[in-house]
Amino acid sequence: MELPGDALLNYVFPNNVHVAWSVMIVIYPYITGLIAGAFVVSGLSHVFKVKEFEPIANFALIAAFCFGLFAATPLLVHLGQPQRALEIYFTPHLTSAMSIFGYVYSGYLLLLMIEIWLIYREYFVRKAGEDTGVMKLIWTVLTLGVTTYHPDSAKLDRKLAVILAGIGIPWAFILHGYVGFVFGSVKAIAWWATPLQPVIFLLSAIVSGMAIVLVMYSFIKWRRGERLDQPMVKKFSAFLWGIFILDVTMELLEVAFAAYEKGWHWSQIKPLLLGPLFETYVIGQLLVLSVVPFVILGYVVLSGVKGRLMLILANVAASFLLLQVLFMRFNVVVGGQLISKSERGFVEFHWEPFSKEGPLTAIVLFSAPFVAYYIISRFIPILGHDDDSSVAR
Amino acid sequence: MNKPLENRPQSSRPVIDAGGDDARREFLRNFLAGTATATVLMVFGPGVAALAQGGSDSAPAGASGKAAPKHQFAYVINVNNCIGCGNCVRACKRENQVPSAVFRTWVERYVVTGEGMYVESPNGALEGFSQVNAGIREKATKSFTVPKMCNHCENPPCVQVCPVGATFKTKEGFVLVDPEHCLGCAYCVQACPYGARFINPVTHKSDKCTWCYHRVKNGKLPACVTVCPNKARLFGDLNDPESEVTQIFKDEAWMVLKPGMHTDPTCFYVGMPREVV
Amino acid sequence: MAAPSPRSHLYRLLLILVVFGAGFLAVKQWATPDSWNYEHWYRGDAVVEAAAQPLVYGGNDSCKTCHKDVAKLWRKKPHRKVACETCHGPIVDHAKAGKKTAVAFIDKTRAQCLNCHLEGINRPRAFPQFSKQGEIGKLVPKHKELDAVTPCAKCHEAHDPRP
Ligand code: HEC
Ligand code: HEC
Ligand code: HEC
Ligand code: HEC
Repeated sequence: MELPGDALLNYVFPNNVHVAWSVMIVIYPYITGLIAGAFVVSGLSHVFKVKEFEPIANFALIAAFCFGLFAATPLLVHLGQPQRALEIYFTPHLTSAMSIFGYVYSGYLLLLMIEIWLIYREYFVRKAGEDTGVMKLIWTVLTLGVTTYHPDSAKLDRKLAVILAGIGIPWAFILHGYVGFVFGSVKAIAWWATPLQPVIFLLSAIVSGMAIVLVMYSFIKWRRGERLDQPMVKKFSAFLWGIFILDVTMELLEVAFAAYEKGWHWSQIKPLLLGPLFETYVIGQLLVLSVVPFVILGYVVLSGVKGRLMLILANVAASFLLLQVLFMRFNVVVGGQLISKSERGFVEFHWEPFSKEGPLTAIVLFSAPFVAYYIISRFIPILGHDDDSSVAR
Repeated sequence: MNKPLENRPQSSRPVIDAGGDDARREFLRNFLAGTATATVLMVFGPGVAALAQGGSDSAPAGASGKAAPKHQFAYVINVNNCIGCGNCVRACKRENQVPSAVFRTWVERYVVTGEGMYVESPNGALEGFSQVNAGIREKATKSFTVPKMCNHCENPPCVQVCPVGATFKTKEGFVLVDPEHCLGCAYCVQACPYGARFINPVTHKSDKCTWCYHRVKNGKLPACVTVCPNKARLFGDLNDPESEVTQIFKDEAWMVLKPGMHTDPTCFYVGMPREVV
Repeated sequence: MAAPSPRSHLYRLLLILVVFGAGFLAVKQWATPDSWNYEHWYRGDAVVEAAAQPLVYGGNDSCKTCHKDVAKLWRKKPHRKVACETCHGPIVDHAKAGKKTAVAFIDKTRAQCLNCHLEGINRPRAFPQFSKQGEIGKLVPKHKELDAVTPCAKCHEAHDPRP
């Protein structure tokens, strides 16, 4: 393995032997990205009136909310002093890229809740009238005690929901661009330090969020034995393809720039990409997980393929994209830390499957949003059986 | 007098005159008070009043106001003198109860050959170094040992990125961690270009060299300086013309680590070979 | 019970938000440490607490009061550059509040001397080094004949090392 800095011996700073931000910090931007991406889908329908997406707009919104509920949990697990987590609200240090995350994140969650509430309020009101017992109480609380649905509110609520969606899109961008900024602004780590980082994070977030919406949608419809909305999936694939191309362009641009510049960055990055990150970055993220979905989606979008095959191809591509983004998160977060600040060696990454911050915890945390979705879907109609009309769109 | 802080090559900011620092803070304050007042009011509530008035600093080290601080401490590492015995590493561990496998200070040994170089720091040089093996020794063109530690930067990235204000720089130059406020998020560990910070595996909080703040405040030298047998480590007050650190700059050229990071360290290296990162 | 206005649910939402916001600000006020420094953004007491950390090493002056003779000798000899505690360990292990509390650490083995003096290419040339073949520094005839176990103390005294 080639080492940077003329080193003949792999030398890492003694405090550098462990990767300080490991699997938890890989899935934290991953889940955060899913929120942003899923929200964009609902925004495309609510704000940009892409009518094909109308049937899945609410679904995407609820999915975004479910991911939102758990986006901060990996951070919490990662903290050395999780009981002090709220200090980020009490004494946020404005010079830190991380300090306002608490506010941006919870503000966003609030926005999602209000938007969902506005959309489902009519349903809550109806349920509060129909149900009895504890459920009635819960529905009534959800209506905030306004248990009759004023006919004039419908228009008002819809308008407000659109406005919130309009605010939500830039906010989602800020939320995730911000996560990229947290990494991109660390000058000490060559692989992170690029102004493109927020853009890359944002675009990959949209890719992964859209992909998971598609996969979840297909899965749910398939489980229910219902027909998938083919024109929607086709349109969806087109959007996904386009944004993914943008995403990969940015990812490649970053590396191409460093490579052509041949500066300090490249002296650090080149041995990294050809060494410890070769499998996960060059082969995994680029050759397999980018090329394959690019080709498949291109085929889906450009050819006249229809029916079952089209649905399967779109879903296979989306699954690849989900992995691509997961790999990208790993390659950035962990990859950056593999270059020791000694500039003469690479840190070894250990998976430590059963440690507090290991992959097992990651799997548990990552399943949580799906469980939340399942629970929520027991109570409110999310992906309409075609006869639902009580939910505003 | 040739004070290193005043004529450092990359920065024209006269740090010793407290004005430099204050100007920066004033900028931040104005920025907060102006453009972002509304947000800040919402977010910070009680703090805003203090921000607007400039606040009062109860802490001894950061006494507020325009007056220059009484002391401006600096650390000098004279690479020419380091014998690589590791006494500093041991004393630091003992003085500050630093757990094993993490280091507030460590020593590196460089062996430069025509083909490349061997850099190592076995267990942070806690036990010093064993002799260079004969094969490499034959090829070596030069070899030296370099102590490393927190650089107590004038422009510390670790302080900048701490999301809760659990680490800060005092006016006298110490960069400290507040263990009662630290979240253990490790952002500072990432931001430090020198690998000087670590998450303490016992307390799960960020930890780093304090220049033995408690010793200096009690009129003693940092533990590593105390036990260094060959004056490779010096510590003193740049405001005192007689101090060893002030004296050494009269006739020695100095460098800092990773000047390209523009962190403006106040830990200066004398006689540092160019191979050192 | 519902208000006739089509906006009543929004008013209620607003009320809840305001109450939560106010509650949050109250909690924030309460949770921010009393000594918080809003200008430099840190907890003022942290500095006081940092200064209160107990000392372990006392420095050379701390030995002088009880070991005048050794200190006097030491001061005139080459090892004056080497602090007492470098060889004997920190004072907290030995004396507290003007009283001896435990036996001080003494290492009479070669290891301690060799830790500093064993010849090595990484040491400064001018530093006196122990080498049997004289690879580095002065070739000392007496050293040439040495076996691997003879303590250095046979010819050198720690406080007055020059034989
Ligand atoms: C280079 C290491 C070294 C340094 C520096 C050193 N000592 Fe010692 N000291 C020794 C050794 C080795 C012995 C044991 C000598 C023997 O018994 O042969 C010793 C013995 C002693 C003793 C007990 C025996 C005696 O001679 O009275 C005292 C007391 C003592 N040292 C105090 C001091 C003080 C005080 C200082 C600092 C001023 C100091 N030492 C510095 C290595 C050192
Ligand atoms: C409160 C007074 C006091 C102070 C301060 C003190 N010592 Fe001692 N030390 C003693 C006494 C009493 C003895 C035992 C008397 C003797 O045997 O000569 C002793 C003995 C020693 C010995 C011999 C081993 C032993 O414990 O019997 C060494 C070595 C030593 N001291 C080193 C030091 C060093 C190094 C320091 C400074 C860090 C120091 N002492 C500070 C009181 C003191
Ligand atoms: C902590 C490091 C250290 C230890 C341990 C140490 N020395 Fe030294 N020694 C020094 C230093 C520093 C000098 C002074 C070098 C100079 O004058 O530049 C020195 C000087 C000497 C000299 C004098 C050289 C000369 O002629 O100027 C001798 C001899 C010596 N030591 C022998 C010993 C012996 C024997 C021991 C073991 C008891 C010992 N040293 C332990 C650091 C150490
Ligand atoms: C047999 C006696 C003897 C023993 C044992 C001995 N030395 Fe020496 N050593 C000497 C003499 C004599 C000199 C002085 C040579 C001179 O100044 O010309 C000396 C000089 C030194 C010097 C100074 C060299 C210089 O460059 O000025 C050092 C360092 C030293 N010895 C270290 C040690 C160490 C470490 C040990 C133990 C491993 C040791 N010696 C054991 C006799 C001895």
